[in-house]
Amino acid sequence: MSVVVDEPAVRDGGGTSRRRHGRTLTAVALVLVFAVFPLFMSPFANLQVTLILVYAVAILGLDILVGWTGQVSLGQSAFFGIGAYGVAAGAVHGWPVWAGLLLGTAVAGVVGCLVAIPAARLRGYALGMITLTLPVVAVPLAKRMEAVTGGAQGLNVTIVQAPAWTGLAADQWRYYVVGVGAAIVFALAAALRRGRFGRAFDAVRVNEALATAQGVHVTRYKVLAFTLSAVYGGVAGVLYVVAVQFISPETLILTLSISMLAGLAIGGLRSLLGCVLGAAFYVVVPNLTGSVSAGQSYLLYGVCLLVVMLLMPRGVAPALGHAVRRVANRRERAAASGE
Amino acid sequence: MNHGTQALVEVRDLTLRFGGVTALADVAFDVGDRQICGLVGPNGAGKSSLFNCVNGYYRPSGGSIRVGGVDVLSVPAHRMVRLGIARTFQHPTLQPDRTVLDNVLLGGHSTLSGTVLSAMLALPGERRRERALVTRARELLDSLGLAGVERTSAGDLPYGSQKRVEIARALLSGPRLLLLDEPASGLTHSEVGEVGELISRIRADHGLTVIVVEHHMGLISAVTDHVVALVSGRKVAEGTAQAVQSDPVVVSAYLGAA
Ligand SMILES: Nc1ncnc2c1ncn2[C@@H]1O[C@H](COP(=O)(O)OP(=O)(O)OP(=O)(O)O)[C@@H](O)[C@H]1O
Ligand SMILES: [Mg+2]
Repeated sequence: MSVVVDEPAVRDGGGTSRRRHGRTLTAVALVLVFAVFPLFMSPFANLQVTLILVYAVAILGLDILVGWTGQVSLGQSAFFGIGAYGVAAGAVHGWPVWAGLLLGTAVAGVVGCLVAIPAARLRGYALGMITLTLPVVAVPLAKRMEAVTGGAQGLNVTIVQAPAWTGLAADQWRYYVVGVGAAIVFALAAALRRGRFGRAFDAVRVNEALATAQGVHVTRYKVLAFTLSAVYGGVAGVLYVVAVQFISPETLILTLSISMLAGLAIGGLRSLLGCVLGAAFYVVVPNLTGSVSAGQSYLLYGVCLLVVMLLMPRGVAPALGHAVRRVANRRERAAASGE
Repeated sequence: MNHGTQALVEVRDLTLRFGGVTALADVAFDVGDRQICGLVGPNGAGKSSLFNCVNGYYRPSGGSIRVGGVDVLSVPAHRMVRLGIARTFQHPTLQPDRTVLDNVLLGGHSTLSGTVLSAMLALPGERRRERALVTRARELLDSLGLAGVERTSAGDLPYGSQKRVEIARALLSGPRLLLLDEPASGLTHSEVGEVGELISRIRADHGLTVIVVEHHMGLISAVTDHVVALVSGRKVAEGTAQAVQSDPVVVSAYLGAA
């Protein structure tokens, strides 16, 4: 009994400020490590981290839809493609990058909203099937619209080059640009989640009668989540072109959508850290399995996926959080009993 | 009828069907302003369905409901809370991973304004409104005896506390009419008494009209001004708690159900 009563007191008492302190220190350390990383690492390693951040943004968009609002989508690769082609085609026609960014994300958002209006009335499999058509249509469309998309060859671009005064190599500069871009959209999503919209999305997921009774228009919020999710997919596509300077129809295939969903599940829903970890899994594990056995790479990747999901069914980030909390609680209890 | 007070809620000929099931049949009653009305009846009598009609979640097949003179059946369900109608759920419906404070703040959704963009950018106006809401939410948590647990995950709370969180959430929207669906079910004997006191206090502090569904007759007798009894979707008795409890139709319905 006393354990049950003591628990909240421990959690809310003196430990909180110490824990907040620890969290600030961890954040500062992470930013520092992140900032100096590209200066010492190989161009390949830098590209890997850059790509992790790109996919983390796309997975975060998916999390808004799946994790926050309880919907599902197999269309994220199409929005990724819209953003990527927006900035790449713009660059080919001599537009500045910001104009391509605006165009790509705006089109992604509009398409997302248009798909969402009928889709928001569906759920589960039906919604999955509708969104499945997005990449299925997007890939041949990208191949056909040669004048804009360069057809099956795709588009090579040269954008976001390192200014001479920085003395940075291309991979290092792109790393920083994508890093700052990802940090900004992560911060925006975090702010959204903390406030009334985040609570409303949660309510829609937990119980529609509950959401409605609080004044949340359920359909409108589902459409909003879908739109935001598409915009994040578009932003990720733009960052992708910044990272690799190339886009082709092969990139938007359904497999990417599925991998993003898998990444979200691996990392853990409703966690910013989870989005990054899920993206890291998607980028790093195929490289590892490929180096173990080139022929069996996909099979091994699937096995890794299964093993992680069996060991941590709610994802890596929640499992980590749980472990950290347990250690911290034990330490605080030990400190309390030592007094 | 209602001690001469003006009616806030007027239910007339309310009928609700689900396929072949008639959940409510020609139900009519009034609830006076700032009164506490008890709604009793055996399982499946249609009590929760009636709540779902009053707050717009179910659309009745016939009849009318007026709250403060407004025909609520012409108002979309998500606008009900802005008309001042708030409810709790029979089974605590909380966001289990969120803190108690967050769960209560959800109740203030309709009182906040701002766009997605202003929320993402955490603009000063946005933050000010949020802070004001947090202050009000904390006051409510305090007054409901939940001050110590605002940072606890709602799912970790005992059942009785979860029911209180539901009440705090409903109150944060600033309602005129509060619908409480079995606030005392699953509680211990002493907790039931506390809930009774709580309901009376809420009515006094917030100037509310309350409709409360309960199976605990002691609680109904203690707090209500007026009781309506439903059996199989029909109103079978109405009056003081004492009169309704001794009504032969009500007694036999409860015996039959038990
Ligand atoms: N959404 C629904 N779909 C179909 N039938 C329903 C629905 N909601 C309620 N009913 C039916 O309406 C009748 C009344 O149910 P209701 O939940 O309103 O009863 P209640 O008085 O709240 O009972 P309890 O005391 O068990 O909560 C029941 O026969 C129930 O099966
Ligand atoms: Mg009920």
